[in-house]
Amino acid sequence: MDPILLLQQLANGLVMGSIYAMIAVGLALIFGVLDIVNFAHGELYMIGAMATWFVAERIGLGYLQSIPVTTLIGLVLGYAVYRLVRDTGGSIERAIILTTGLAMVLQSSAMLLWSATPREVHFPAATGLFELGPVVMPRVRAIAFVAAAGCIALLYVFLHHTHLGRTIRAVAQNPRAAAMVGINAHAAIRLAVITGVVLAVLAGTLLAPMYAVHPVMGLGFLVKAFAIVIIGGMGSLLGAAVVAIGLGSFESLSSLWLSAVAAEAITFVLMIAILLVRPQGLFGRSARL
Amino acid sequence: MQDSLVSAWGGAALLLIAIVFSFVFPSPYALGIGITAATFAVLATSLNLVFGYGGLLSFAQVGFFGLGAYTAAILVVDTGWSFWPAALAGGVLAALLGVFIGFASLRLSRIAFVIVSLAMTLILHLLAKDLAFLTRGPAGLPGLPAPTVSIPGLSPVEFDTPRTYYWLSLTVSVALLLLVRWVIGSGAGRMMMAIRLDEPLAKAQGIDPLPYRLLAIGLSAFIAGVIGAVHVFNLTIVDPSIFDMYYTEAILIMVLLGGPGSFVGVLAAALIFTVLPELLRISVDARSLIYGLLLIALALFLPNGIAELPRRIARRARVSSDGDRREADG
Repeated sequence: MDPILLLQQLANGLVMGSIYAMIAVGLALIFGVLDIVNFAHGELYMIGAMATWFVAERIGLGYLQSIPVTTLIGLVLGYAVYRLVRDTGGSIERAIILTTGLAMVLQSSAMLLWSATPREVHFPAATGLFELGPVVMPRVRAIAFVAAAGCIALLYVFLHHTHLGRTIRAVAQNPRAAAMVGINAHAAIRLAVITGVVLAVLAGTLLAPMYAVHPVMGLGFLVKAFAIVIIGGMGSLLGAAVVAIGLGSFESLSSLWLSAVAAEAITFVLMIAILLVRPQGLFGRSARL
Repeated sequence: MQDSLVSAWGGAALLLIAIVFSFVFPSPYALGIGITAATFAVLATSLNLVFGYGGLLSFAQVGFFGLGAYTAAILVVDTGWSFWPAALAGGVLAALLGVFIGFASLRLSRIAFVIVSLAMTLILHLLAKDLAFLTRGPAGLPGLPAPTVSIPGLSPVEFDTPRTYYWLSLTVSVALLLLVRWVIGSGAGRMMMAIRLDEPLAKAQGIDPLPYRLLAIGLSAFIAGVIGAVHVFNLTIVDPSIFDMYYTEAILIMVLLGGPGSFVGVLAAALIFTVLPELLRISVDARSLIYGLLLIALALFLPNGIAELPRRIARRARVSSDGDRREADG
């Protein structure tokens, strides 16, 4: 096997893995503070991608100008998700039903508004190739990787080195103790949910110039994100980020030998195997937030 | 006691409706809707069993449905089995897979089960499209032969018309529903309810939830698998669209509307929600939008189903009349 080809595939895998990481980390963040799983997460990512296409191409504002608009959409949707799930009274099933309903509303609305046609988003400022030694890739991918890594680094700094971020971690670790030292748990949870949703929407924005986007792209990513958080350990941000990068690389490298469906099936089997052998996930509860 | 009486009368009334229906509406179109209704009644009950009684939300029922359908179709077409053992094998395979994913995911949590159940259905959908040597890929397996029953001494009966198939699917559905009803009414069923209502209390009584949950998953997977086989032999084709998310959305609505844990309520909701979309004839995307909004509304305002509505109105009326009296006293 040609080592340059392997290196090339690995680089492509890192790009995709960094997009997965943004989605999975947001999912893990929401689970961390609320103990609920957001089943609309994949559709929020889809909305990010489709809204990017709508603003950049249909309205014609251009790709970079669309980013503030999609961020705003992410903030609004994040607040909507928070309002929807905040009073579920600890019933995980009810929260899942609510977010599933939201997912259906988002997907069918996108279908009704924009049809199922795959759409392309152009990023004229980033045409051409990016070269790093023997590795060559379209410049948009390199930019997406840097942006995704930057978002995750920012999230890390926010959670560990700002007061607001620390309140989120405190609530995730022990909501009662956090309330006792005067932390407004509702505000922290709201902030965490909105952050998680904005990450998913921005992941869609970053993906849009790389691949064709369409309203049914969400579900597949949701299931990948689920596999990532289960393998990494539910509620563990570090686990989600590391496993996401790993999954992106695995998919990209395995595409040299296996079909995409075989890679999906292996991921599913791996998820079951982790549940059987190490249910707390690779990074466990100790690594939570 | 009263509940089981209501349930028995309600069930008998629904069966009577089903029998009368076939004589009042003998057209192949109407009978086709009737067959679909019987399918949905079992599929929704399978979700009701695992969610309403077992306390586990599941997105796997449609996966089991499709797995049973494909298993039966492949056994009949490729290995020459007759329909009945093939349908049974489909149900058993679905049950085994269900117990396995249930066992694995419940080691972590109920949430893990929900996640794995959705992932399983999606993987089965992908495999149905991709494993062409087994499933014939996206085109599926067409030309499934009509099931037959041969009783010694009589000429064999072939279920090859809408009318005969209606009776076949009605008989199988009623048998599967009675099986579920029997399990729910048994000691195991009461254990399931106890665990769902108060898991810590049940555990404190020395009840291990896992075997009862696995029983609920396994039985629900079995009936979903068998009815999947019955469903596709009526269509005479099985293809990957059997794993469509629409079925999952529809049965979730049926269970929430009928009330999780209400046997007859869910059956009635299944009948209504099979017939209603046929009459309304709206586009798939608009239907999905409406279902999504309905799901949110039900989960927010009526988590115990529409059957709760009269009770809640009565309670509100009582509370306000109490308030009036207190004011009068004061």
